[in-house]
Amino acid sequence: MKLAVCIKRVPDMEGRFKIAASGTGIDEAGLKFDMSDFDGYAAEVAIQITEKLGAGEVTVISLGPDVVQETLRKALSMGAHRAVQLKHDAPVSDGLAIATALAAELKDRGYDLILCGRMAVDTQNRSTGAFIAELLGLPVITAISQLNVEGGVVRARRELEGAYELIECPLPAVVTIDEGIARARYPSLKGIMAAKKKPMDVRPAQLGAITYQLEKMELPAERAAGRIVGEGKDAVPELVRLLKEEAKVL
Amino acid sequence: MTASNGIFALIVVAAAAFFSYNVQRLVGYLRVGRLDDSRWNDVPHRIWNLVTIGVFQRKIFRDAVAGPMHAAIFWGFCVLSAGTVEFLAAGIVPGFSFARFMPQWAFRFYMGNQDLWGALVIGAVAFALWRRLTHRVKRLQGAETHANDPLFILSWIGALMVTMFLAESFHMVAHAESATPFYRPISFALATMLTWVPVGAAEVIHAVSWWAHGLLVLGFLNYLPYSKHLHVVASLPNVYLSNTSGPGQVGVMQSMDLEADVEQFGAKDIEQLSWKSLMDGFACTECGRCTAVCPANITGKLLSPRKIIVNVRERLETRAPAVLMADGSGPVADDRLLLDGFITEQELWACTTCRACVQECPVSIDHVSVILEMRRNLVLSESRFPEEVVPAFESMEQRGSPWAFDPGERGKWSDGMHIPTMAELAERGETADLLYFVGCMGSFDERAKKTTVAFAKIMQAAGVNFAILGREEKCNGDPARRMGNEYLYQMLARENVETLAKYKVRTIVTACPHCMHQLGSEYPQFGGNYDVIHHSTFIEHLMAQGRVPLRQDLHEAVSTFTYHDSCYLGRYNQIYDAPRETLKRALPVVNLVEMPRSGDRGLCCGAGGGRMWMEENEGRRINAERADEALATGAQAVAVACPFCMTMLNDSISSRDAAIPVYDIAEVVAERLA
Repeated sequence: MKLAVCIKRVPDMEGRFKIAASGTGIDEAGLKFDMSDFDGYAAEVAIQITEKLGAGEVTVISLGPDVVQETLRKALSMGAHRAVQLKHDAPVSDGLAIATALAAELKDRGYDLILCGRMAVDTQNRSTGAFIAELLGLPVITAISQLNVEGGVVRARRELEGAYELIECPLPAVVTIDEGIARARYPSLKGIMAAKKKPMDVRPAQLGAITYQLEKMELPAERAAGRIVGEGKDAVPELVRLLKEEAKVL
Repeated sequence: MTASNGIFALIVVAAAAFFSYNVQRLVGYLRVGRLDDSRWNDVPHRIWNLVTIGVFQRKIFRDAVAGPMHAAIFWGFCVLSAGTVEFLAAGIVPGFSFARFMPQWAFRFYMGNQDLWGALVIGAVAFALWRRLTHRVKRLQGAETHANDPLFILSWIGALMVTMFLAESFHMVAHAESATPFYRPISFALATMLTWVPVGAAEVIHAVSWWAHGLLVLGFLNYLPYSKHLHVVASLPNVYLSNTSGPGQVGVMQSMDLEADVEQFGAKDIEQLSWKSLMDGFACTECGRCTAVCPANITGKLLSPRKIIVNVRERLETRAPAVLMADGSGPVADDRLLLDGFITEQELWACTTCRACVQECPVSIDHVSVILEMRRNLVLSESRFPEEVVPAFESMEQRGSPWAFDPGERGKWSDGMHIPTMAELAERGETADLLYFVGCMGSFDERAKKTTVAFAKIMQAAGVNFAILGREEKCNGDPARRMGNEYLYQMLARENVETLAKYKVRTIVTACPHCMHQLGSEYPQFGGNYDVIHHSTFIEHLMAQGRVPLRQDLHEAVSTFTYHDSCYLGRYNQIYDAPRETLKRALPVVNLVEMPRSGDRGLCCGAGGGRMWMEENEGRRINAERADEALATGAQAVAVACPFCMTMLNDSISSRDAAIPVYDIAEVVAERLA
């Protein structure tokens, strides 16, 4: 079984962001980058499938400048077998253009199952997985929380508000992974050492036509500082008064 | 030479040969372990350890009851061994006596001591048996102990002494003309009571006792290698070769070559443990002093440091023959590895690395290093660890702090305090006398930040020229290293060493004992050599110099304090007095009351060894145990000198009805600044 996992390198979301001088992106100075969480779950799911089968191969693919090799290497150290960098140095925000490049890479390479994160945690477009499926003419199940692949059939579960649905489709297929399915494993040193010897192919990204441009990025206005009314029981009446009269929430 | 001498000579030779075979066999087993050449340096210091810990039983005496008892048996053993040599020689060469080589006074002194120590040993053995049989001493219990072995051994020693006295006194009865009353008072007193025994019968009883004594001695010698009593042979070499009382800084983890082409990182089985750790197994006599002081064990967790060491020996004795005999055909299959087969993950993760077990061990066994080598295997080779530590690992890697704070906000506590960063000074072409390494707790934790500010204010008041690293500071790596993640640790350590080299830092102060231990004791492994001073020492020093301006009034809200010792300050760095002195100087009218477990016997707060980031669902909580002890002193406040102790004690104490405040010593001093 051949599995492909598309992963994205994203900034650490705990950092404090600044808008870059261009006004259309974030200032990357001082930020740390790692694999997008959902893509980590996707890689973990794919690796677990090959571990369970005792056979198969997981290829991880990422689009971007050479720094994405670091992220790919992490997936390799988790247990993926090979990596492909679709080299493209300038930032791209158009999900369709990215999906086109990924689909060109995925096409005709005999992948049985293609996994993506439900969304990238930074841009949260939720589009790439579905676009890839459409471009390849494959069925897609999005935001799945359980996955079972057996006898050429994918069975997946999706969480809904207070309910869930079970979906089945034949392979090959595309799935996008929600949280709760598996935690990305912490790579062992053994894995990190092994990853250094695994193949990493670099090919130019065949981006699709750009269909839209990011115009402007802005930070939300700073919230006004909170106010401490007092401490202990004595402060309660004043707090209630303020909640009623100023905040008007009571 | 008579036929009986000949037979005895043969028995002695056979016993010696068998004993020597066993010693060689066991020493050979140590070759199975990992190379460790850190045991041969600083001979004078090692001899000092041998003399103080070994010969003078320094650590044995830490137990006021068992201490004198054991010392009597041990010193008796040393003295009586000389008698045994004479005894064996006389058995082979008739008429042999040390009297031939000694002036008369020396020989009489020697003989007198044989009697004296023989009697003391009998007394001590009788006491030990009585104690074992009537008092179920808690530390002597435990599933991992060989429960009947001690009774057997004590009885055997008792029998050795009894036969010695019987042989000697009946010899006196039979040869009244040559009796030496003055020099062997006890044997002579016995003989005096036995004069009614006919000479012929006395001869026979003497002969029987003599043979019994001889056979018991040789039998005992050969029983040792098969028993926990092997410690008789292994202890002194173990004390000499141990690094737990120096030479060098204690409690330092050995570095790992992460590029090494090895099958296992860390220890999965005995082959990956240092040969010295294997020797610890031979030196252990299951006294349980380690387990009795283990905070995890005390609070009802499975971990028992004694069991770890007993398991090492058990596994060594089954595994080593297989490895050594395999003549290149590879190790014999055995699915009960040390990890999982003997020692479980649950035990390994319960350790707080507080070193109480190591401090207590009378024969300088290093339990913690076995536990940590096995944690390294779990993390580096198998990626097995409590899942709640993943965020800590990831955050240390991503943000240089075990908590998910923005690294850019590391210096935020100093806003408005006019404290320069090293980078700012360098830009102006200036430098600072010393660097304040704040640490992650001190930088990000709301409670610990108050300590940070307090310490900075004290230094400012004293006119100290210091700077911080601000956002360039990273976690010292201690949590990663103690949790077995040497890879992450070395990454952080190297980054910090690089940053410190950039500013040519020589002297560092810190309020965190974990930062202090890393920077001062473990960073030299990566070329980082600094004078690292804990804030307790530093504040005391400033106060002693009269540089800290204090208010002169003596009004205090709190009249009694108790001080809780941090493990990494105390047992790792031997700083016990400085924090207490600091408190006394700051609060001349305040009483300092000690908890029962204080100083080098202090009980851990429960946060060390990465336990800070793990759930504590097994047994009682360690911080609750310690908080109980602090509250029981009746003190009105608790003082600490470590941000981790602060969190742990504060968490438990503040949840009580009778809550009392917990202060860092720096806060106490800053509160009194003029």
